[in-house]
Amino acid sequence: MHYARIIITLTLAFLTLAGPWPATAEEEFVTALTGKFPPFSYYDKQGNLAGFDVDVSREIAQRINQKSQIIATEWDGILAGLLAEKYDAIIGSMAITPVRQESVDFSTPYYHSGAQLFIHRDNPNKVYSISECNGLRIAVVLGETYQHFLEEKFPDVEVVTLKSGAEIFAMLEQKRITGFVTDRLVGAWQVKEAGRPFVSVGDMLYKERIGIPVRKDRPELLGQINKALAAMEDDGTMQRIHQRYFGLGKTSSSKLGTMEPSVIATKLLKGFAVSLGIAFAAILLGFALAVPCGLLLTFRHGSLKPIHFLIRAFVDFIRGTPVLIQLLFVWLGLGFAPFPAAILTLGICAMAYMAEVVRAGLMSVDPGQDLGAKALGLSPVDRFRFVVWPQAFRIAIPPLMNCVVSLIKDTALVSIISIPELIREAQSIISVTFEPGLYYLIAGLMFFAVTFPLMKLSDRVERSIKAKGFAHD
Amino acid sequence: MIEVQNVAYTYADGTKAVNDVSMTFPEQGIFAVMGLSGSGKTTLLNCIARFLSPKQGEIILDGQDIQEMKEIDFRQQVGVVFQHLNLFPHMNVLENMMLALERVQGKTKAAAKAESLEMLERLNIAELAQSYPAQVSGGQAQRVAIARGLALKPKFMLLDEPTSALDAATTSDFARWLRELQAFTSFIIVTHDLPFAEQTAEQGVFMESGQVQERGTLAEVLKNIDRC
Repeated sequence: MHYARIIITLTLAFLTLAGPWPATAEEEFVTALTGKFPPFSYYDKQGNLAGFDVDVSREIAQRINQKSQIIATEWDGILAGLLAEKYDAIIGSMAITPVRQESVDFSTPYYHSGAQLFIHRDNPNKVYSISECNGLRIAVVLGETYQHFLEEKFPDVEVVTLKSGAEIFAMLEQKRITGFVTDRLVGAWQVKEAGRPFVSVGDMLYKERIGIPVRKDRPELLGQINKALAAMEDDGTMQRIHQRYFGLGKTSSSKLGTMEPSVIATKLLKGFAVSLGIAFAAILLGFALAVPCGLLLTFRHGSLKPIHFLIRAFVDFIRGTPVLIQLLFVWLGLGFAPFPAAILTLGICAMAYMAEVVRAGLMSVDPGQDLGAKALGLSPVDRFRFVVWPQAFRIAIPPLMNCVVSLIKDTALVSIISIPELIREAQSIISVTFEPGLYYLIAGLMFFAVTFPLMKLSDRVERSIKAKGFAHD
Repeated sequence: MIEVQNVAYTYADGTKAVNDVSMTFPEQGIFAVMGLSGSGKTTLLNCIARFLSPKQGEIILDGQDIQEMKEIDFRQQVGVVFQHLNLFPHMNVLENMMLALERVQGKTKAAAKAESLEMLERLNIAELAQSYPAQVSGGQAQRVAIARGLALKPKFMLLDEPTSALDAATTSDFARWLRELQAFTSFIIVTHDLPFAEQTAEQGVFMESGQVQERGTLAEVLKNIDRC
């Protein structure tokens, strides 16, 4: 029963890990940003988070006597993460808007900026203001205030939503969009410091006050943050941080645009190790659940019929809904910490597909095999364990391998819940190097290096099974 | 001794496969249950092997109704070799034989292995021990299936259509081999192959439409069938 012991141990270990944690330790001030919004947040040469927002976050933590912990996550889910208590505050250049104020409280503004249209300096469409962009493609980051502004005020503009500034800048360099709207400081910084072939056109679209949102049930924390911000203004700290990134000649291009090759390699390998670790744990969980579920799916009649229908409904539901929604539900809806959420979601998803494979494998075994074992006097458990299951498993190996390959690729989705897996690490590198083609290709090749041997192994096992004639026609 | 007393079996669709059949299988020797397809002989075998419960009548093994016996006790006294043999394809011949010895009779792996090898040697098929079912011929597979059943040392062995996958030459060899095995156990052979039954069995019955038409020594039964 070696196999059963391993499964039980791993399941218990998982359940211990997977319980809904308090997202933050008491002595830590946990804040979120994207890490993809230079110079407010980005990764430096050493692969560490840096930028205006990062410095502000650390300074506030110090002033409220807590240890700073900064989480990089996606912009479009950043507020949901705050509401789900994944972190204490967002210090990520979030504009104060009435809609956002309905769900969170904002600190006093810690800087003012505004929305600005940037276009390629060749200006192929000959536009000089946003009002001349009707029917043209203007990009924004998904979920930013600029998106709602354009959709409301300029409905004839074709708004293109992308996941990060890096993707937008790459697209404008290739002239696949007419322009983009972003914070004027961010855009100006790209032109000046990163040497992008962009120019700003027209007046500032509107002014924005940038604040720090916290949950409405944390008024004490909000008070502490406001007090810290006021003190930082008074003693010149805020001005010094601002100068560090926006002052003339203060920001050297060496701060951005490059990353040490060793840092890039380390980030990619670490990210891939995380991806594979999540995949491995999810495969174990999925398989451990798939065997009993697959077996129960074969009992369409008799006393186990109600359980059969429950499992059938659950498996169909999981297979019929996007993994991304399941992931966000487990993370935000059920309140699981990111890693347990990823393992649980991908594990359950793998279970649904693997259970079908196991069911098909069991159905493929000649019923005469069970009868033959019964004629020898074997108990029902022994008949399953020694006769039916070993044959079903061999038949199921090739499709199970496909599930494994699929699951390894699905780990790319967990970047959305702020897990630093391969895709997220590649994105963080791209946000500094602005080479999406190269690093997405490398990430793809890394996945392929693992999935290709698995696919070949699956082919070999399938040939071997056919040669031994386990399955009946 | 197995006594079949007024046994009847009707399938769910109303087909009356066995109709008030009685017969006695002796302690020793080879007994043939003969008949054409659809005569009810395989249904009768499934009743004797306890895979089907008769709707009427009783089957008595050494004075005990088989339906009231513990499954494990019954299986160790009555072995079955199916028409399709049902050898386990993921195990070699030796492992096929050892499984029930270990899991049903609770023998150690070493003891099960020694007994299985001894049985294979006594049946002159020791060279097949390490082969997988897919690697042996039809005739060899038939012998392996019988050897697997005999490993448990049952009082009776039921063979369902044992010659269905054998050619004429192999059938004669197999019949000769089977006669040598009478020392191990009693055989009840269900077959439509009358020449094979003639080569092996001493006594038998001929079934038709779910009922026994003829019974007696093989010579008598075959003679009476011819006359009909």
